[in-house]
Amino acid sequence: MLEQLSDLYLTYQSTLGYIGINALLALSVYVSLSCGQLALGSAGFAALGAYAGALATMKADLPFPLALLLSALLPALVAVPLGLPVLRLKGVFLAIATIGFGEVVRLGLVNWEYVNGAQGIVAIPQKASIWMISLAVAVTLYVLSRVRGSKWGFALEAIREDEPAARTMGIPSTRYKLAMLVLGAALAGLAGGLEAHFTFMVAPNGFGFSRVVDMLVFAVVGGAQLFWGPVVGAGFLTVLPEVLREVAPLVGIEPGPLRMLVNGLVLLLVILYLPAGLVSLPRRLRERRAAP
Amino acid sequence: MRLAPRISLLVAASLLSIGSAHAETVVKIGAALSLTGPAAAYGAQQKVGILAAVEEVNRSGALKGVKLEAVIEDDASTKEQGIAVFQRFINKDKVAAIIGPTLSNTATAADPLAQGARVPVVAVSNTAPKGITDIGDFIWRVSLTEGQVIPGALKRLQAKLGFKKAGVLYGNDDAFTQAGYNVMKAATEAMALEVVGTQTFAKPDKDYTAQLTALLGGKPEILIVSALVENASGIVAQARQLGWQGPIFGGNGFNSPKLMGNAGPAAEGVYVGTAWNKVSSAAPNQAFLKNMAARAHEPDQFCAQAWTGVMAIAEAIRLSGKGGREEVRAGFLKLKALPTPLGTFSFLESRDGSHDPALQVVKDGKFQIVQ
Repeated sequence: MLEQLSDLYLTYQSTLGYIGINALLALSVYVSLSCGQLALGSAGFAALGAYAGALATMKADLPFPLALLLSALLPALVAVPLGLPVLRLKGVFLAIATIGFGEVVRLGLVNWEYVNGAQGIVAIPQKASIWMISLAVAVTLYVLSRVRGSKWGFALEAIREDEPAARTMGIPSTRYKLAMLVLGAALAGLAGGLEAHFTFMVAPNGFGFSRVVDMLVFAVVGGAQLFWGPVVGAGFLTVLPEVLREVAPLVGIEPGPLRMLVNGLVLLLVILYLPAGLVSLPRRLRERRAAP
Repeated sequence: MRLAPRISLLVAASLLSIGSAHAETVVKIGAALSLTGPAAAYGAQQKVGILAAVEEVNRSGALKGVKLEAVIEDDASTKEQGIAVFQRFINKDKVAAIIGPTLSNTATAADPLAQGARVPVVAVSNTAPKGITDIGDFIWRVSLTEGQVIPGALKRLQAKLGFKKAGVLYGNDDAFTQAGYNVMKAATEAMALEVVGTQTFAKPDKDYTAQLTALLGGKPEILIVSALVENASGIVAQARQLGWQGPIFGGNGFNSPKLMGNAGPAAEGVYVGTAWNKVSSAAPNQAFLKNMAARAHEPDQFCAQAWTGVMAIAEAIRLSGKGGREEVRAGFLKLKALPTPLGTFSFLESRDGSHDPALQVVKDGKFQIVQ
């Protein structure tokens, strides 16, 4: 019995780790969304964090906590000069500019021979464990829970709902938006650093445009209005492929195509029927039951 | 001396038959293949090769008392799912050996898990020269690296055509094509070829005329290209449109019938080094081709390599008489001169594969071997 449990844990430990990593990445997109900004530079920030962490461990021989600190710090520092000009942009223009930043980082790494270009850094020692990743998510959630309902939280909500109105009330909106971009960058960088030390390798192609789309989908499917929504979304969508591996033989469809089908369906259904994400499902069910 | 292995085989066989009521033990082989995502074209070929080879081994009865069973899982061409699949194979399916994963990048992330759990891995399509088999002593490789194919093929081609000046074009945003370029660069230096220019492109590119024009301006006598097949087709077609009539030498990415499908007549005169001599009249290759014809499947190099991977595992089980993880690895250590569709196959000391590569040219819309 104990052996079966340990096998079960071993089988899904990478999935557990990836739930945490994906949750941090989803939160990095969420923090900007929480003040109404669609900033999609997180793949670039995660790449910076992953490479900074990996180089710190492999070239500079830094202890792991320091390497992780560097993973979070470097993208945060980069986010400041990036944020000052691009946060003047709004909506889809901000999204395009930040996606552009992510691509610049990816292409820079591809052309940087010191880190093996497209082949990436390999044979990174595995130092991140599930508890560290879980702790990182827990601390992040705690901080975000404290922000909610605080002066900061109200300011962010005000900016999200109506930025000009918030400004007239004396809320320095640019400073708040920049702070959220920097926080998002630090979270993405931390996730990148953890991933690099969890999966033995990092390569630029792991941080392309599709990765940031994944993060946004995690946040949207889980629910981008509550701070724990993105974590639910990341958890659900990371576990889904593994569940479908079990289900596929029962329905007689190959797991690959089935995964793409179900992923698409989930996204479609959530956007159509649960615009506030999966976390709003219990409330919606209660409302329906209450209605005559 | 010679009797010893046979006796141990006999003992093992008799133990097996006592151990179980039906004299057959099932040995599972996991295959982590890219069946969806960018590498799906390669994964599909590998799947056919593995299933056919497992069937063939079981049908032939070469492994007395052992029945092979292939467990195939899709890694979606990503390292995240590649790792998840490996952990499934190791801890849930309890496979004796793992074939794959399709991509070298995924291998560098997933293979260390198998090494840690002491599960033998056979790479059947990883061609990156470094970072695969040096992960550890449980990681083996059937596929030849670019370094084993390209220099020999290029030298053979030079002996035939006598070129001295080359223009080089490669995709620099892909692990596979970049590794190919590194080998090409070393080969041109070793052959003292004059490189008139080196140009790069990225995977999403569709227009290569700027790079090609620059290269052709240097008056090369051959174009050397490292690209995946989608880009390769466009490069070949556009080079011909720009009036280039000379030879084009391609890396491993050119090794797909899709090249002729996409580029049409422009692909004529493209040379590629290959791990698999398709038209070889050797018996194991003919048997492989016959098996594929019976399935109405058009195999490529990846299919033949996947088939060979299964055959290597089967041979290892035969040599050590049992299908456990340690036994498969012990069998690999003993494996010598195995007849396969790729030729006579052995493992090198570095656990990389070794057999004779071939040079092929596109002629009349088909790959033909250059003798």
